Amino acid sequence: MKRLHFYIIILLTWSMLPFIWQLYTSFCSQEALISPLRTIDNRWTLDNYLRIINADPPFWKYLLNSLVVGTSATLITLIISIPAAYSLTRLKSAFAKSMQLLLLAAALFPYVLLFLALLELARNLNLGNNLLALSIPYSALSTPLAVLLLSSAFRDIPKDLEEAAILDGLNTWQRLKWVLIPLITPSSASTAILVFVFSWNEYPIALTWISRSELITLPVAISRIAGSSVYSVPYGTYAAASVLGSIPLLLIVLIFQKQIISGLTQGAIKG
Amino acid sequence: MIFLFAPAALFLILVFVLPLIRYCWISVHALSVITNLEMIPNYGANWIRLYNDQRFWQDSFQTIRFTVTSVSLEILFAIAIALLLDQRWRGRGVVRALTILPWALPTTVMALGWRWIFNTPHGPIEQIISLLGFESINILSNPNIAWIATVIGDVWKTTPFIALILLAGLQSIPNDLYEAFRLEGGSSRQALFNITIPLLKQYLLIGILFRTAQAFGVFDLIQIMTGGGPASSTESLALYAYLNAMRFLDFGYSATIMLGSFILLVFSCLLAWLIFNQIKKIQL
Repeated sequence: MKRLHFYIIILLTWSMLPFIWQLYTSFCSQEALISPLRTIDNRWTLDNYLRIINADPPFWKYLLNSLVVGTSATLITLIISIPAAYSLTRLKSAFAKSMQLLLLAAALFPYVLLFLALLELARNLNLGNNLLALSIPYSALSTPLAVLLLSSAFRDIPKDLEEAAILDGLNTWQRLKWVLIPLITPSSASTAILVFVFSWNEYPIALTWISRSELITLPVAISRIAGSSVYSVPYGTYAAASVLGSIPLLLIVLIFQKQIISGLTQGAIKG
Repeated sequence: MIFLFAPAALFLILVFVLPLIRYCWISVHALSVITNLEMIPNYGANWIRLYNDQRFWQDSFQTIRFTVTSVSLEILFAIAIALLLDQRWRGRGVVRALTILPWALPTTVMALGWRWIFNTPHGPIEQIISLLGFESINILSNPNIAWIATVIGDVWKTTPFIALILLAGLQSIPNDLYEAFRLEGGSSRQALFNITIPLLKQYLLIGILFRTAQAFGVFDLIQIMTGGGPASSTESLALYAYLNAMRFLDFGYSATIMLGSFILLVFSCLLAWLIFNQIKKIQL
């Protein structure tokens, strides 16, 4: 039992210590930053927080931007992926198998390598500097994994249920709406959360598609604080921004822990 | 039925198929500020340049080194974490949630945090080293070891992802198997290598696949933590392609680098798979 506790403490230290250091840094005054382990008089300050809250645009704007992109990307992904996943389970097995392999390949693809072509797309279709447009590549990039997760959920529904619905005279659309989609709610929820977290965190596309500072998303805003001057990075401000920026996701992880885990888990069983 | 799949197919063509075709097309053209952003066919000159580009090969080496080291360490740690989280103890749910946190937060949130932690001379690591009276290691300014700092940042962030997948695998193994093994006189260490790891194989494979592909495309972490430096020793292929497009405004060559990286990734995966199969044959 003692050894178990020891391991748990190591695990928690490893995962949490960098965060705790950020938290500590965010409350440190400029002089305190350069001598972190020595005792000095005016160590504690709220200046870092005040600076980013009073900045223009204020910090909550970035959170709002990320929320808008994340929510719309999640909705689009679900609307596109649920019918696709259903059709995959009803198509001939050879076709469905090869489709599944392609989807897996797409889900694995390091999407960073696509940024240049996507940037051209944004320029040609005039989608730059538009938050809602940003959710198009996000949902398209999330579709492969979403279809894989949802089709495995559809496959778990007993065939009899759908046959009964056909006997009752429901067409495909009604079957999906009244019978099948309610049954896959747990999987839809965990897929939605994974897509939301991806969109919330995405960096290279957000960086290249959006340049107007009142429209940038949280990850880009944080990296801009970092890059605002080359020689002296304002670590205190950055730490405060990253603490504030972490709170929404911290809440999401604590509340939706089960859904996140089951989303990842289904992904594993699928393969 | 097929029409239900059509919107998704359209999406996938838009973001996966068209870009790759477009890259093939751009990569045989000169397209940069020098050509006034006009496409001028240059018949493979980009590819010859890529072949002779030392920086491309150095970045390939760096990207592969980063991927192999990070993924191996992540697998080892993830097995340990999954085994720990699989046992029953009080507060397990909270600890599990806290463990996922590094994975769930944006890379940009901690990338600079790591730069601060490794900072010389004000970061905590250097401070502790100097308190203990050792010489400064100055990790982020030393081209030979700076990449290890980026590996630490990556391992910290993505180990929870594999750990959770492995945890799911562990929970699918029936307890009876372990009891039977114990009754036959097997030790718990033998159980680990004879039952747990073999039955986890599928989950390990999925974890390795996903992480290898992601680590190969590493971008955010490197761009913010080191900017590719010192002396471009930590620069990844994705960052090099990004710099060519956004800083040198040479889109033709940038597309060539991305295609080249993609070919390299497929080639490395095939090679790894062949080696893996060869090892399996030897064991039999």
